Amino acid sequence: MENNSSVVLQSEKVGVLHLYINMIRKFYKSILALAVVVSISLGNATAQDSTSAASAAPAAGAGGDVAKGEGLFKNNCAQCHAVTAEVVVGPGLAGIEERRDYAWLKKWINNPMGVIGSGDKYANELYAKYNKTQMTAFGAFGDDEVKAILAYVKSAAAPKVEGPVDPNKVTQPAETGGGKFINVILISLLVIMALVLVALLGILQLLNRLSGGESLESSASFGEKLKASFKNIAANKTVRSAIVWAFILLATKATFDGMYGIGVHQGYAPKQPIAFSHKLHAGEMKINCAYCHTGVYKGKQSGIPSANICMNCHNAIKRESPEIQKIYSAIESNKPIEWVRVHNLPDLAYFNHAQHTNVGGLECKNCHGEIEKMEVVQQRSSLTMGWCIDCHRKSEVNGKDNGYYTKLMEAHSLVSKGAMKVQDNGGLECAKCHY
Amino acid sequence: MKVSLKNITLALSIATFSTAVLTSCSDNNSTGWEFAPNMYNSRAYEPLSQWRANTINADGKDMRSPVEGTIARANYHTTFLQDDSTTVNDLMVYNLPKDSIAVAEVSLKNPIPWSDKVEEEGKVLYERNCQHCHGEKGAGDGAVGKVYKGVPNYASDAYKNMNDGHIFHVITFGKGRMWAHASQVNPEERWKIVHYVHRLQLGN
Repeated sequence: MENNSSVVLQSEKVGVLHLYINMIRKFYKSILALAVVVSISLGNATAQDSTSAASAAPAAGAGGDVAKGEGLFKNNCAQCHAVTAEVVVGPGLAGIEERRDYAWLKKWINNPMGVIGSGDKYANELYAKYNKTQMTAFGAFGDDEVKAILAYVKSAAAPKVEGPVDPNKVTQPAETGGGKFINVILISLLVIMALVLVALLGILQLLNRLSGGESLESSASFGEKLKASFKNIAANKTVRSAIVWAFILLATKATFDGMYGIGVHQGYAPKQPIAFSHKLHAGEMKINCAYCHTGVYKGKQSGIPSANICMNCHNAIKRESPEIQKIYSAIESNKPIEWVRVHNLPDLAYFNHAQHTNVGGLECKNCHGEIEKMEVVQQRSSLTMGWCIDCHRKSEVNGKDNGYYTKLMEAHSLVSKGAMKVQDNGGLECAKCHY
Repeated sequence: MKVSLKNITLALSIATFSTAVLTSCSDNNSTGWEFAPNMYNSRAYEPLSQWRANTINADGKDMRSPVEGTIARANYHTTFLQDDSTTVNDLMVYNLPKDSIAVAEVSLKNPIPWSDKVEEEGKVLYERNCQHCHGEKGAGDGAVGKVYKGVPNYASDAYKNMNDGHIFHVITFGKGRMWAHASQVNPEERWKIVHYVHRLQLGN
């Protein structure tokens, strides 16, 4: 504010127009400075990205026996065994040749249950230790294969030379760089807004001066001048009635908008009893919607999965998480998980999932939005009748490989040139959905 | 227009009312105003939304378990025309317990004859129900499979020769770390998936 008043005082001496030009000049200068700052931070972010990409160079491999072993290991063993000491499903294989001799290993790989059955003490202990999980027998593996695998395990378990860049060091600055970038944008936006405000105040002052013609005393402070000009504006009848009218119109619009929102659940995103993330399951893990919502291609309802479907994965994954524990306790106490329904059509409207997904060939996201990006599911579409009708007017009937529509489509093509839309097949008839 | 006190009061009251309406809708945990709430909270029992305790069922749930000992009627095809124009009738109720995978291997045969169309349907079902663990090409490298661990490669030596009955039995009851998927895919769908898994066993 002090800066502003000094600028104004200066303008008294130099002249009003000069001040105006000066101000615009300053405004552009600061925008230029901002542009420089933004471009520098952008440059930084891309530079960091390129370093992280360069660091992901593959480790050098070895040839011969080891290469064959690597292929065999990755295709047959890696699902259950790590080359390190880490336990995956079965024991980690680092140092396996020190633990068991070659003959035993060969026999075990060819027929693990046979070795257990023969009463081998080590094998039986191993079997008991790993929850009696049977290892697949690889009877076709001869000496060559087993030796190749062992050679690969030995070479892969050996400590590797550290890469030139520590992965932590690469990822961290890249992340904070992104955060900084957003901060820079926000701050620059604030600065721009502040500058616009200052410019507007200057213009206001100028207009006041030109219209009033009265010269304010230079001793009056900026605040007092502002107050006086506001008083002048408020006293003007035209301005007052304009403001009241604008207010009434806006309020009417807001009221109508609010009334149109009655019964529309768009944006509804209730908190669920378990913090289930669709973003993680459908997005990152790429689990198909129909894996859990089993009815979506078959029935009226897409269905909410029962706990047994959760357990297909969570018998092993994230068992210790408190959210997963809620599933376990629901199963143990035989009480259903009380999920909160998000999409709910009123009883007066009939809707069938299978007709839209299976027959119409619509994707889930056509109506539900990008569920795979939602942490908490939100109703994205309005689900109003206008919304349904709009789609029924636009969408063509999906008659591909569907004998049910063949004759209908032939009949349609006799009377109309365009493709058969849903509305041509009764998609707008009241009784299709309301009965 | 006269700017009277009356006008201003009117404008203010409308503004307050509309703000109240708007803020009531912006709460994510609330559905907002409903015109006829008993159309959303149905008096009749609905399968997927229950808003009050059920007074008829002892456990208070609208849902009921099927009567013990009853078997659902097959909601899938059970008659299939074979390539040699004979017809196979198979209810696909095999009554094999979980541990008799060896019996399944020798006794079960896919009643659905192979065709491009059936394999394509099997592929769609595989993508919906299996792919996230077993991977696009059956290599055990799906996004979930990598976290879950222990998912085999269909084309590996130990798995590439597994037959119809084995695959069907594993989908039905699970095996090793995999759990049963009988509640998600019906027997007809399982046999279609079997056709596609055979394709993936070729490893191409």
